[in-house]
Amino acid sequence: MIALPTNRDENWRYANLRPLAKARVEAAAPATLPAVELPPPLPGHERLVFVDGRLLRSAANAARTDVRVLDPRAAGEAFAALLDSEIAAHGVDFALARINAARGEEVLHIELPENADSKIEAVFIASTGAANGTSYPRVQVHVGRSARLCFVERHLSEGTAEAAVNAAVDVALAPGAVMEHSRVQRVADAASCFDTLVAHIGESARYALKTVVLGGQTSRSTMFIKLAGRGARCELSAACVANGIQTHDIFAEIEHAAPETVTRELFRGIGTGRGKLAFNGKIIVRENAHESDSEQSLKSLLTGSGAEAAARPQLEIYTDRVRAAHGATTGKLDEQMLFYLLSRGIERQTAQALLQWAFIEDAVSRVTPAALREDVERAVVKRLSAVASLDGLLVQP
Amino acid sequence: MSNLLKIENLSAKVGGKDVLKGLSLTLNAGEVHAIMGPNGSGKSTLSYVLAGRPGYEITGGTVEFMGRDLFAMAPEERARAGMFLGFQYPVEIPGVNNVYLLKAAVNAKRKATGQPEVDAYEFLQLVRAKMKLMQMDESFLSRGVNEGFSGGEKKRNEILQMLVLEPALAVLDETDSGLDIDALKVVARGVNSLRAPDRGVLLITHYQRLLDHIVPDHVHVLARGRIAKSGGKELAQELEKRGYDWVTEAA
Repeated sequence: MIALPTNRDENWRYANLRPLAKARVEAAAPATLPAVELPPPLPGHERLVFVDGRLLRSAANAARTDVRVLDPRAAGEAFAALLDSEIAAHGVDFALARINAARGEEVLHIELPENADSKIEAVFIASTGAANGTSYPRVQVHVGRSARLCFVERHLSEGTAEAAVNAAVDVALAPGAVMEHSRVQRVADAASCFDTLVAHIGESARYALKTVVLGGQTSRSTMFIKLAGRGARCELSAACVANGIQTHDIFAEIEHAAPETVTRELFRGIGTGRGKLAFNGKIIVRENAHESDSEQSLKSLLTGSGAEAAARPQLEIYTDRVRAAHGATTGKLDEQMLFYLLSRGIERQTAQALLQWAFIEDAVSRVTPAALREDVERAVVKRLSAVASLDGLLVQP
Repeated sequence: MSNLLKIENLSAKVGGKDVLKGLSLTLNAGEVHAIMGPNGSGKSTLSYVLAGRPGYEITGGTVEFMGRDLFAMAPEERARAGMFLGFQYPVEIPGVNNVYLLKAAVNAKRKATGQPEVDAYEFLQLVRAKMKLMQMDESFLSRGVNEGFSGGEKKRNEILQMLVLEPALAVLDETDSGLDIDALKVVARGVNSLRAPDRGVLLITHYQRLLDHIVPDHVHVLARGRIAKSGGKELAQELEKRGYDWVTEAA
C-alpha cells in the first residue's frame, strides 16, 4: 500500500488529492472505443490512442520497432536508469508514479535511434467513472543521440465521467537530442487528472515542454527535470485556466546539475469564479553548474472574486557564477486597458475575455505543431468567453 | 442646428477633489470647439467624464449627448452611440491585435444599430486606405494594440481608430502633445478629413499650435473647473501671445 501525499507535505500544499483517494485504485476495466470524439489527427504525426491506459489496437497505425507497447515489467527493465535513485529519493513526490507503475497495465515505449526524426501523438482517454477504477497512462521516451522527437500528449475523458487519471511520463534525452513535448490536458470538468513527469536531459540536448491545462475539477502535475549534461537546455511553458471550482496545481523542479545549463520557464494562469491555481517553480543549481542561466516568469490573473493563485519561484543555488532571474506576479485585469477597450464600444464581457486572452496567449502560442496550437487556442478562448464571441481573434491579417 | 453635446453646470470630483465646478458648453453638429487651459484646469478630467472612465464622481449638472442623458449610458454604449475619446496617453495592450480591436469595435457599433458585421475584405481595404492617410505602415495592423509604438505612432493610431469608427463626436485629449511638426500635420489632416455637417469635434489642447492646422469654430478657456472665456479662433492667438493669466485671473 503506497501512501498518497497530503497537503502537509512540502510540495503538495495546494493539490486536491481527495478525488484520487476516493477513486478505485485498480486499473479501469478494458474498454472499447468510448464515445469521445477524437480530435482531428495532426499532419505528419503517427497517432496512438489509449483508453484507460491501454492501447486501442484498432486505432493504432504505428507498426515500427521504435514505438512499442510494453508490459510494465519489461519497460521497467529497459529504462531502469530513468528513475534513478537520486530522483526517486524524493519519496512522497513519487508516490503517484509508483502507484502508476504498480497498477498500470501497458507502457508506451518510444526509443528513437541516433539521428532519427519522428513525430508521434498519443491520445489518452479516460472512459469510465472513478468508482470503476483509475486510468494509468504511462509513457517512456528515449531520444537517441542527435535525434529529434516531436511528441504530443493529450489527455481527454469521455463525457461527464468523474474519471480519475494518474499518468506517468519518463523522458531521457541523449546528448544533442531535441524533444518538443506538447501536453494538453482537456479531461471533462468533473474528472481529475494527476501526472508525474521525470526528464533527464543530456549534454547539449534541448527539451521544450509546453503544457496547457484546461480540464478537470482538480489537476496536479509533478515534474522533475534534470539538466544532466553540459549545455543541456529546458524550456518549460505552462498555461492554465481554472474556471468555476477547478483547482490546477503544478510543481516543477528543474535541477541544473552540469555547467552552462539553461532554463526558460514561463507560467501564465487565469483564475475565474472560484478557480484555484498554483505553480511552484523550483530551480536548483548544483555546485558544478557554473555559467548556468535560468529565467522564470510566473504570472497569474484573477478575475473571479473567489479565485486564488499561488505562483512562487524558488531558487536553491550552490555556486557563484550563475545567472538566475525570476519574477512572479498576481494581478487583476488592468482597469486602464479595460476602459480603453470599452471606450471603443466593445462589450464588457468581450473586453474582459480579450484581455484574458492577451494575458495567456504568450504561453499558449508555444504549443507545437501549428495544427495543435490552433486547436488549443480555440479551446482556451472558449474557456475564457462562454458568453462573448472572439471569432476572428486568432486570424492574422 | 442640433445639439450634439450639451453640458450644463457640470461638477465632478476625482480622488476626493473638486475638479470641474459648474462647467457649461454646447457643441452643435458641424462644429469644432477647442478647449484650452493651463495644466490642472480640468481639461483631461472633462474628457474622461465624457467617456465614462471609472473613478470620476459626477457631483452636479447634466450632459446630453445627441439628446440622451450621457450619464445613464455605460462607456461602451457611449462609444456605440458615436462618442470617441482620443486618449492623451493611449494604452498598450500586448496580445490584442490592432486590427482585431478595430474590427471588434466596428462590429460592436454595427450590432448596436442592427447592421450585419462588416465584410472582412472590404473592412481591410477601408483600414488600409485610412492608414495611408495617417502615413502608417501596414505592419501596425498585426501588432499588439499600441505595443512598442512611439508616442507619435500611438497618436496616429488613435486618429486611425477614429477614422475607422466615424464617430458623431470626437473628443481629442491633447492629441498634439509629443508630436513633431510633421506628425502634427498628419494628425491634423486625419481630423480635418472627418469634419462634416453631422459631426463635431472637441479638441482639448494646451497649445495654440494644433489650431493652426485644425481651425476651430469656437475656443474656450478652462480655468479652475469652468469656462472662463469663450471666443472665436482669434482667442487662441491672443492666448498664445498673452498667456493664460489674464483670463484665469479674471475668472
